[in-house]
Amino acid sequence: MAGEKKGLQLLDFWVSPFGQRCRIALAEKGLPYEYLEQDLRNKSELLLRANPVHKKVPVLLHDGRPVCESLIILHYLDEAFPDKPALLPSDPYARAQARFWADYVDKKVYDCGSRLWRLKGEPQAQARQEMLEILRTLEGELGDKKYFSGEAFGFVDVAFVPFTAWFLSYERFGEFSVEEVCPRLAAWAKRCGERESVAKSLHPPEKVYEFIAMLKKTYGIE
Amino acid sequence: MEKMENVSAAAVPLKLFGSWASSYTHRVQLALRLKGLEFEYAEEDLGNKSDALLRHNPVYKKVPVLVHGDRALPESVIILQYLDDAWPESRPLLPASALDRALARFWCHFADDKLGPAVGAVFASTGEEQEAAVRQVHENLALIEAELRDGAFKGRRFFGGDEVGLLDVVLGCGSYWLAVFEEVTGVRLVDADAFPLFHAWLRDFEALDEVRDTIPAVDRLLEYARGVRHMLLGLASAGADAAASATPAAAAADIAVDI
Repeated sequence: MAGEKKGLQLLDFWVSPFGQRCRIALAEKGLPYEYLEQDLRNKSELLLRANPVHKKVPVLLHDGRPVCESLIILHYLDEAFPDKPALLPSDPYARAQARFWADYVDKKVYDCGSRLWRLKGEPQAQARQEMLEILRTLEGELGDKKYFSGEAFGFVDVAFVPFTAWFLSYERFGEFSVEEVCPRLAAWAKRCGERESVAKSLHPPEKVYEFIAMLKKTYGIE
Repeated sequence: MEKMENVSAAAVPLKLFGSWASSYTHRVQLALRLKGLEFEYAEEDLGNKSDALLRHNPVYKKVPVLVHGDRALPESVIILQYLDDAWPESRPLLPASALDRALARFWCHFADDKLGPAVGAVFASTGEEQEAAVRQVHENLALIEAELRDGAFKGRRFFGGDEVGLLDVVLGCGSYWLAVFEEVTGVRLVDADAFPLFHAWLRDFEALDEVRDTIPAVDRLLEYARGVRHMLLGLASAGADAAASATPAAAAADIAVDI
C-alpha cells in the first residue's frame, strides 16, 4: 500500500465504541487525522483492502499502511509517536495490568451488552447477572483511584470509557442503575466525560439507545 | 508493586503455574527458555485448582499464571509481553518496528480468537458440524499461508524473521495439536500441498531445541486427546446440561480449546 495517502486516516463507524477508543487516543495525543465514516452494510473497497481478514472497523491507516483492532491501534499510536503522551505506563507490571484490564473489557462488556438487548427471558436474566458482575469487577479494580491508571487518564480508561455511552441502554434493558450498583464507576464515567477528547468522541447515551432500537427493528427483535 | 521497584528483575524468582497439556502454558515455558530465564514450575490439577492459583488469578482462575515476586501475571500473550518489558536485555519476542509489532499482535489475536476455536470445534464435533469446522480451519490457515506467501511475512523462515518471535511462540504452541487431532479424529487439517509454507514453518519450529524441550511427547498428547474427545462426544450426546455441570469436562474443555 506504499504511495497511498500520507498521514493518519481512521476508518470508523460513528457509534462504534472500538472506533471511539481510537478517536479519544488520537485526540489525547494531539495527532491530526482524517476521519472516514464507513457504511457497514455496504463496505467500501478501502475497508475491504485495509482489513481483508475481518472486514471490520476501526482501521488506522498510517501513510496508507493499515493497523487493525482498537487495542492494537492504541499500542501502535504509543509506539509510532513516542514523543506524544503515552497511554500505557512505563513500568512493566503496570503495563501488564493495563493490558489485562483492557483485554477484560474486550472479552466481556460488548458481548454481554449485546445479549442484554438481543435476548429475552432466562438468557436475558443471565446476561443481566453477568453484566452486574462485570461492572462490579471493574468497580473493584478502579477502587478509589481517579482513573484506572491512577492519577493520569490512560490505556484502560480509553479502552472502557466508550462503553459509558452504553450504560443508559444497559440500565434500561437490564433494569438496574449503574450509579446504585457501581457508584465509583459512575463517578469515573462523569469525570472522563469532562475531558475534551472524550466529550468530542462519544455520542449522547440516548443516541446509542436509539441506535440499538433501530438494530432490534432491523433484526426483528421485539 | 512498591516492593519490587528498586530490585532488578533478575534478582527476583519466577514461578509458573501451568498444566502439562495446556498450549498456553507451553507458550510461557518456551518464552522463558528462549530468554534463558530460570523458573520454578508448579503443575496444576485443573479439576482441583490450588488456592494459590485462585489467589493469583481470581478473575479467570486459569493457567498459565506467572508469579514474579509479588506480581501475578495471567494471560499468556500478556505474560510474553511482560517478559520483553521486564527483561529488555534478553532476546526480544516482539519485533522492533511499531508496524511489525501491530502485525504480530494482530495475528496472535487471530490465532486465539479464530484459529484456535475453529480447531477446537473440529475436535469437539462429528459429521456435518465437523465438516463445517474443518472448512473454517482451512479458511483460517489459508489466510496465514497467504501472509507467508505474499504478505506481511513473505520470504521469512519464521514469523519473527530469521529467529522465532512472539507470533511463532503463540501459533507454534498449539499447532502441534493439529497433527494430534488429525490422528485422533481422522480428519486432515494441515495438508502440506494446500499449506506448504505453513507446513514448512511448523516443521522448522518443532525442530528447535527449546521447542522440543517444551512440547510433551506425542504419545502422551495422543492419549490425552483421545480421552478428551471421548468425553466431549459423550457429553455432546448426553446434552448441554451435562457439559455445564461436569467439572472434569469443563477442565478438559479448558485445555481442549486452548490451542
